[in-house]
Amino acid sequence: MHRQALTEDTFYLNLGPQHPSTHGVLRLLLRLDGERIVECQPILGYSHRGHEHMAQNRTYLQFMPNPCRMDYLSGLMYNHAYCLALERACGLEVPARAEHLRVICAELNRISSHLLWFGAYLMDLGAFTPFLYAFDDREDILAILGLATGSRLTYSYCRFGGVRDDVGQDFLEGIRAFIPKMRARLKDYDTLVTRNVIFVNRTQGVGVISPELARAHALTGPCLRASGVGYDIRKAEPYGLYPELDFDIPVRAGGDCLDRYLVRVLEIEQSLRIIEQAMARLPGGPVKATGVPQFITPPPGLYHTSYETARGHLGIFLAADGTRVPYRLKFRVPSFGNLGILPKLLPGTLVADTIAILGSMDVVMPEIDR
Amino acid sequence: MNALLNYVREVIGGTWSLATGMGVTMRYMFKPVTTVQYPRQRLPLPAAFRGPIELVRLEGGDHRCVACGECFRTCPSGVIKVQGHKSVAASRNQGRFYFIDFARCSLCGLCVEVCPEGALRFSRDYEQCGLSSLVGVQDLMAKLKEEHP
Repeated sequence: MHRQALTEDTFYLNLGPQHPSTHGVLRLLLRLDGERIVECQPILGYSHRGHEHMAQNRTYLQFMPNPCRMDYLSGLMYNHAYCLALERACGLEVPARAEHLRVICAELNRISSHLLWFGAYLMDLGAFTPFLYAFDDREDILAILGLATGSRLTYSYCRFGGVRDDVGQDFLEGIRAFIPKMRARLKDYDTLVTRNVIFVNRTQGVGVISPELARAHALTGPCLRASGVGYDIRKAEPYGLYPELDFDIPVRAGGDCLDRYLVRVLEIEQSLRIIEQAMARLPGGPVKATGVPQFITPPPGLYHTSYETARGHLGIFLAADGTRVPYRLKFRVPSFGNLGILPKLLPGTLVADTIAILGSMDVVMPEIDR
Repeated sequence: MNALLNYVREVIGGTWSLATGMGVTMRYMFKPVTTVQYPRQRLPLPAAFRGPIELVRLEGGDHRCVACGECFRTCPSGVIKVQGHKSVAASRNQGRFYFIDFARCSLCGLCVEVCPEGALRFSRDYEQCGLSSLVGVQDLMAKLKEEHP
């Protein structure tokens, strides 16, 4: 935004980079006319760590811990996507049990990511109690994932051609106990939040994104599906086990903050369905393909992989030159597109609604800055 | 008249939604506490827990490290320094120094996976803090002797 000379009517306000409701280090430079926003510019780059450049300086295996640190809330999915990219480039087969475990863990991760968003969003809007319930449920998921992966946030669980370790009985029993508990909790969330008059009044009709605007700004994930476009990579470009599973893509037509909330809550239900099916048909056998070299070397060429993370379309573009080190590894992250719509969306709204709109986008800043 | 009716309906509906929400909160008041009072209570660690690496201790305080250097070549962050020696020229190499800088470690576990001798494992230590970046530097050989003199 070209800083214009201040007139009597307008002034600049910095939202962030350390405001709790900016979820990370996002700085929004707002030009205000009283309470109304005239102009908004998101300023990025506060948590840039150079992950893509790091990829060019280490082997494919050595880059394994990095993708989960881009989006720390859905680290397992990033990990899965990275392995998927390499497996497609090298033509590796993944054993059936490993595919099932990957999908189970990825969907658990999706639920935990949505739960954290749910709690944090309601806290932005001034409701504290749901935050505690959401974190209680999330704690269950982190404990279950800890049993399989040994870690709570940055899992590094997938490996080229499989997963690191097989799971034990405690992992499977934990999930069997978790699914009914989560279903009961979703009913409580419905009573506590979705039908709460204050919440509905603060989100309904706020920050409406039309399908055309959503497409023009490359919105993906729940933000796009709340605007009436039923696009999900799991259906559009299926990978892994997803083509064999029966699940729906929740779509809402309103495009406001309430619909973005509802899409995510409905997605939790669908994720539970996916986990149930994958659990029911979990086969035995190995969890890792044999004969995967330590220094994996994809044949020279350009490869692209799409993946549906909790926030939307993650694209991994790999340029391989036939060596042990990637020539270029580019990540197309969903939050960047979702955030980019704010300058279009915010002018004319109130400062209080800015928080509601920004929160409903569910941006994770380290993913954007990388 | 219609507007008035709508207004009354909205007030009653809104109040009811708040009351049912409070009902959920009240119900949870009588459910067991889920908070863990951390320093006094601790959660059990999962068997797969990934802590900072340590050397597997064999009978008599020995270890399996042959200082092949596979771990320190694989480590993405340059955490590990390992050096070996041979007691006589024809003998097998034996690990003598094994230093890690845990402050740089991202706990990916690649070192444990690539170790051909199975000399490494994850410790179950998760309370690591300090005031200097040097507190992460640990001598694993010394640790092996310290814990089991």
